[in-house]
This record gives sequence, C-alpha cells and structure tokens, in this order.
Amino acid sequence: MRFLDVTDPWIRWDWVAAHLPSIWADLLEHVELTMIAVACGLLIAIPLGIAAYRLRPLRDPLLAASDVLYAIPSLALFAMLIPFTGLTIVTSEIGLIGYTLLILLRNVVVGLEGVPADVRDAARGMGYRPAVQLLRIELPLAIPAIVAGIRIATVTTIGLVTVTALIGEGGLGRLILDGLIRDFKSPLLVGTVLSILLALAADLGLAGAQRLLTPWSRR
Amino acid sequence: MSFLLQVAAWFSDPQHWTGVGGIPNRLLEHVEMSAGATAAGALVALPLGILLGHYGRGGNVAISLSNVGRAVPSFGVLVIALELVGIGAKPAFVALFLLAIPPMVTNSYVGIRGVDAEVKDAARGMGMRERKLLTAVEIPLALPLIMAGIRISAVNVVATATLAAEVAWGGLGRYIVDGLGQRDPVQVFAGALLVAMLAILTELGLAGVEGILLPGGLKQQRSRRRWVRPGLKAA
Amino acid sequence: MAIAALTFAACGGETSNPPATQAKGNITVAGFNFSESSILASIYGKALAAKGYNVSYKLNLGNREIVQPALFSGQIDLYPGYAATELEFINKNKGEAGSDAQANVDKLNGYLKPQGAEALTPSAANDENAFAVTQATASKDKLTKLSDLSPYASQMTLGGPPECPTRPYCQPGLEKTYGLKFKAFKSLDAGGPLTKNALSNGDIDIGLVFSSDGGIAAKNLTVLQDDKHLEAADNIVPVIRTKVANAEVTALLNKIDAALTQSDLVAMNKSADVDKQDPDALAQNWVKQHGFA
Repeated sequence: MRFLDVTDPWIRWDWVAAHLPSIWADLLEHVELTMIAVACGLLIAIPLGIAAYRLRPLRDPLLAASDVLYAIPSLALFAMLIPFTGLTIVTSEIGLIGYTLLILLRNVVVGLEGVPADVRDAARGMGYRPAVQLLRIELPLAIPAIVAGIRIATVTTIGLVTVTALIGEGGLGRLILDGLIRDFKSPLLVGTVLSILLALAADLGLAGAQRLLTPWSRR
Repeated sequence: MSFLLQVAAWFSDPQHWTGVGGIPNRLLEHVEMSAGATAAGALVALPLGILLGHYGRGGNVAISLSNVGRAVPSFGVLVIALELVGIGAKPAFVALFLLAIPPMVTNSYVGIRGVDAEVKDAARGMGMRERKLLTAVEIPLALPLIMAGIRISAVNVVATATLAAEVAWGGLGRYIVDGLGQRDPVQVFAGALLVAMLAILTELGLAGVEGILLPGGLKQQRSRRRWVRPGLKAA
Repeated sequence: MAIAALTFAACGGETSNPPATQAKGNITVAGFNFSESSILASIYGKALAAKGYNVSYKLNLGNREIVQPALFSGQIDLYPGYAATELEFINKNKGEAGSDAQANVDKLNGYLKPQGAEALTPSAANDENAFAVTQATASKDKLTKLSDLSPYASQMTLGGPPECPTRPYCQPGLEKTYGLKFKAFKSLDAGGPLTKNALSNGDIDIGLVFSSDGGIAAKNLTVLQDDKHLEAADNIVPVIRTKVANAEVTALLNKIDAALTQSDLVAMNKSADVDKQDPDALAQNWVKQHGFA
C-alpha cells in the first residue's frame, strides 16, 4: 500500500474534535441540499407522472427522455449549467433536482400502472369520476412505489451532493475536497463516512415513513 | 446557436482526433477502464449474488450491500483510493470496480430468488441435479434481472469514470475537467456529449445483447416491462 | 406541463433567500482551490468581520477561470489575487506583466475598472509559478536552472494544472522563453498533492509548483531557477468589486497587505499543507498577532 502522505494518519481525532461545529454545519447543508432536491423533484414528478399515466402518447417519450438525461454525468451537467446560472446553489439544485426527477418520475408511473385492473374497474363501477378515482384510489395504492422512488432518489442525491463541492457548494463534499487539496485523510474520511451514514439513516427513516403511510400493507 | 456551431467546429478540428489528448485515445481509455472495471466487478458480484440466491441465504446481505453501495459517494471513494494506490489509472479502477458490484449482486440475487418454486420442484422431479438446476433453469430464468444489473452497473461506471479526471486519470472526463480549468465551455460541452453518448450506447448495446441471450419465452414478458427498471446512479 | 413549470418556479423561489441587509453590508470573500488562497481569503474575511461587516465565504472555488467572472457578475466581492497572473489572465495573455509588482497592478486596474472591480496595493509577499524536479533528477542531470533543461526537455513530461497549456507563464512561456518543448503534458492540480506526488512517483519529470509552497523541501524536490525571467512579479493583491471598496475596506486590506511578509506566507502554507492545520485557524492566528481582530 502506498499513501501519498505517509506521515498523515487515516484519522486524527483531535482534528475531528476541533472541527465538530464546521462538520455539523456541512452535514446540515448536505441535508438541506438533499431535501430541496427531493422535495422539488417530487413536486414536479407527481404531475408529470400522472400526465404520462393518463396521456398514453406522452409515456414512452417522457420515460425515454429521462433515460437519456440520466446518462449525462453529474459533473458534466453541473459544468454545463455554470454559464447560465453561475456559481450558486441554483446550479447545484437544478442538477440534483434533475436526477431525482428522473428516478421519481419512473416510480410514479410504475406505481400508478401497478394498480390492479379489477380495482380500477370496481372504482369505476362504484361511480368514481376519474379525478376522484386518481386521488382516492390510484395515488394511495401507488404510494409504496413512490416511496421506494423517494428512497432511491434520496440516497442517490446524498451521494451526488458531494460532487457539487467542485462547483462551490457541497455539504460534506467540502471535507472530501479539502482532503484532496491538502492530501489530508481526516476530512476525507469524515466526509465520506458521514455521507454514507446519512444516506443509510435517511433510507431507514423513509422505510419507517412508508410503513406509517400505508397501514394496509402491514402484515 | 453559435455555441452549437462552436461545438461542431470543435469536433471537426483534426487536432482533436489525434494523439494522447485526441478523441479516439480518450474514448479508448474510457471504454477500456469502464469495461475492465465492470467485468472485474461482474466476476465478483455475479457468482456471489447467484449463489446467495440459489441457497436462499444472505438476502439481507445482498439488499444491504445494495443500499450501502448506493450510499457511498464515488467522489470520496476515488480520493480514498488515490491515497491507497497513488495517482492515475489505479485509483479510478478501484473506485469503479467497487461501484460496479452492488447492483449486480442485488439483481442476480433477486433474479435467482424469484424463480418460481414450482418450476424448481418440477426440474428436480425430472431428476436434475443442483448444478444442472442452477445452470439450465435458474440462471436462464433470472437472466433478465441479471442483465439489468450488469446494464445498471455499466452505465453507472461509464458516467462515473468522468470523475476520475479529478485524480489525474485520462478518459473522456479529461475534456470536462480541463475545459472547466481552461474556461472553455465548448470543450466541457463536447466532453459531456461524448460521455452521454457512450453511456446511451452502453445501455442500448447491452439491451441488444440481452435480446440475443434471452430465452424466447421470456422476451415477450420483457418487452412489456421495457421501461421498468430500478434507477441507480452514484455520480 | 404548466403545473410542472409552476412548481419549478416555486422551487426556484425557495432556493434563493436574499441575504438580510446589515448595517455595514455583506461581503462575500472567495478563494482559489489551494490552501494559501483559503488562508489569505480567511485573513481578509476575519479582519473585515472584526470591523463589523457581514462576511460570507466561497473557498476552494476553483481557478481564475471560475473566480474572476464570478467577481464581475457580483456573485463574490473580494478574492486574494496575484498581480501578474491576474493581469495576464484578463488581457488574454498579452505578456504585459513585468518584474515590478506595482506596475503590474496599475496595468491590471486599466482592465478591471471598466468591469466594476479593482486591485488594491500589492503586498511584498509573492507566490510565483516555479518549476521543480526531484532532487534525484536534479543531481543526475546537473540541473539548477530552467535553461539547463534544453537537452532533456524532449524526453520529459511536464505536469501542472489543466490550464497550464493555455497560460503564458506555464507551458507556452517555457516554450517561448526557454525553447523547451516537452514530450507530453499531464493535467494535475495547481502545485498541490497530485503534482508533488506525481513528481515523487516519476509519473511526471517536471512540475509546476509555487514559490511560497512550504512543502517542497519535505518532498525532496528542487526548484529550478528562472534564469531568463519568464515569471513576472506575482505579488499578492486583493481584487475587489468597486461597489464594496469603500475607504474603510480599502484602507484595511492595504494595511493587511503591508503587514504580510513572504516568510509569514511560507510558514502558514507549510502549517496548512504539511502539518494539516486549518487555513481558518492559521488566518485567525495571523489576524490576532497583527492586531486586526
């Protein structure tokens, strides 16, 4: 094994102790960047997903377009936005919202399409109008798929936020970038490990929320 | 419009088609690195996922591996790998190899687990040994999910290999990182375009391979589920 | 689609909180992506904060290609610049920079003022581009100055930041002033760990480092003397938006520059890069010691 700076240990607890306030601030910023991205992605994905579900001609083009956009590397996407939106939180958020949107859109469509045909027929037979049927029957039944999408989107976004350090935002990514710039392992490790723990905590929390939201699916 | 013309001019400049920094070499580097990392990842991930699925054990391991794997920030792993193995191609390979593993483990586990118990009983009833059952029944039936796992990994790896330019490796990410450094949006855009096209080609190419490999009976099922695949991206 | 556009607009509104106006105003201090820049930016920021300004930071922002446009568009207000490099960047590599720091700043201001920005008084401390080889290479080929490289350059790989091939004081300058044509160029970082480690590992043969770098000796590197004076006076100078450069701010930053010495700079860089101390804490110390806070 070869370490760039052999005198630098993997973790220096004195550094960690001295930097708890700034690490905490980075963590909070990380959470904030993630929450804005997922919330906004969801606000856009639900109407778009309903449109794709209801208007068949829109479905395949929308999903295919999201597949194509998804293939653009995040660093490239952020870099391409800089000329238009500058070095602001907006640049980071447009990129992050874009990626969450793609994951969420797919799950909204899949969730709505997964509603069993006989359930829909029964609702229609009971005289539900389409809008009411959507709100009362189809969307609630799509919740598990939508929450699954939120989980994937949240965990993915937490990883992606670190990349925005390269364009001046970054949350915990700042620590990783500091580690790269100064050849300093402690911030690098703290940033990476906290980012993983944050993602796992968010995933567990959302799994709990899913159980609360869909009491009928509990065994 | 003039920006797109500049991009077109960038692509038609013969200087950008020769030498170490030329598109053919950068593309080759990117493809070699991505293919190598995905293949090495598959060598580890597929046997693991398939065996876990076959013996029905370690389901939690497979699922948590996928969760943790998705949560690992590639940028951090890349820099940690840099500390471990030095600059250049090696840290990029290590980070991409690790990135490639989780979706393949999870998908092959879920695929094998999902094979109908009655089908397996019928195969055993016909006198198939476990090994034959695995290779002749379970793997072919799980192939759509296994292939989807490979596809997700490969596309992730192609996209993430871009970040490796931050730790002094080549590949198509060079255009993006150098373009950012030189304030050359045309070069950045051209690089992004090349990576995106490569990722899409990877997706389409592997979907084509899947079409050839799939047993006939499964094809119809698959085409119905064309756009249904779990999203997964790390960078 | 209309709904999507609306929600997107709503999200856009959510992300841009206008900063609260303070009695003395807000100043955003930026720095480039290396520790020295973080230290200097923090020194400016802390001294300003002590005077009651509401200071926010954008550190490790990237290189000049990112930072200078951000200043002109008002996304940042102030950054620690380098007299010659700023000049040659904004004049698109005309080669106007010389060995007199004040003359470089005067010329620089001719370009900055129409953009609503200005450079203040340069410090005595400077940070010039320098080129280093390993001590082993230096003793093997008897290298002490850049012109000694001419028999070897065609076999050598040069390493530096991505912008090096387009900067007159980097690869093109070595070619023009010294006639050195290298075998290849490798994109690394601006005199950071990638470059220094690439030198130690033999991935590159010669690399761009900085004259104020405190970690060169620790890595067994030798800086080659710039015997044909390619590098111009790159003294540290605050670059600031004219709108925020009131008399108090200007006087304060000029006083900081006057107090900052080359040995302070090298020592702080060593503490940050080799001993891994915090740029922020180093800046705090310096500001306290010199009575700015």
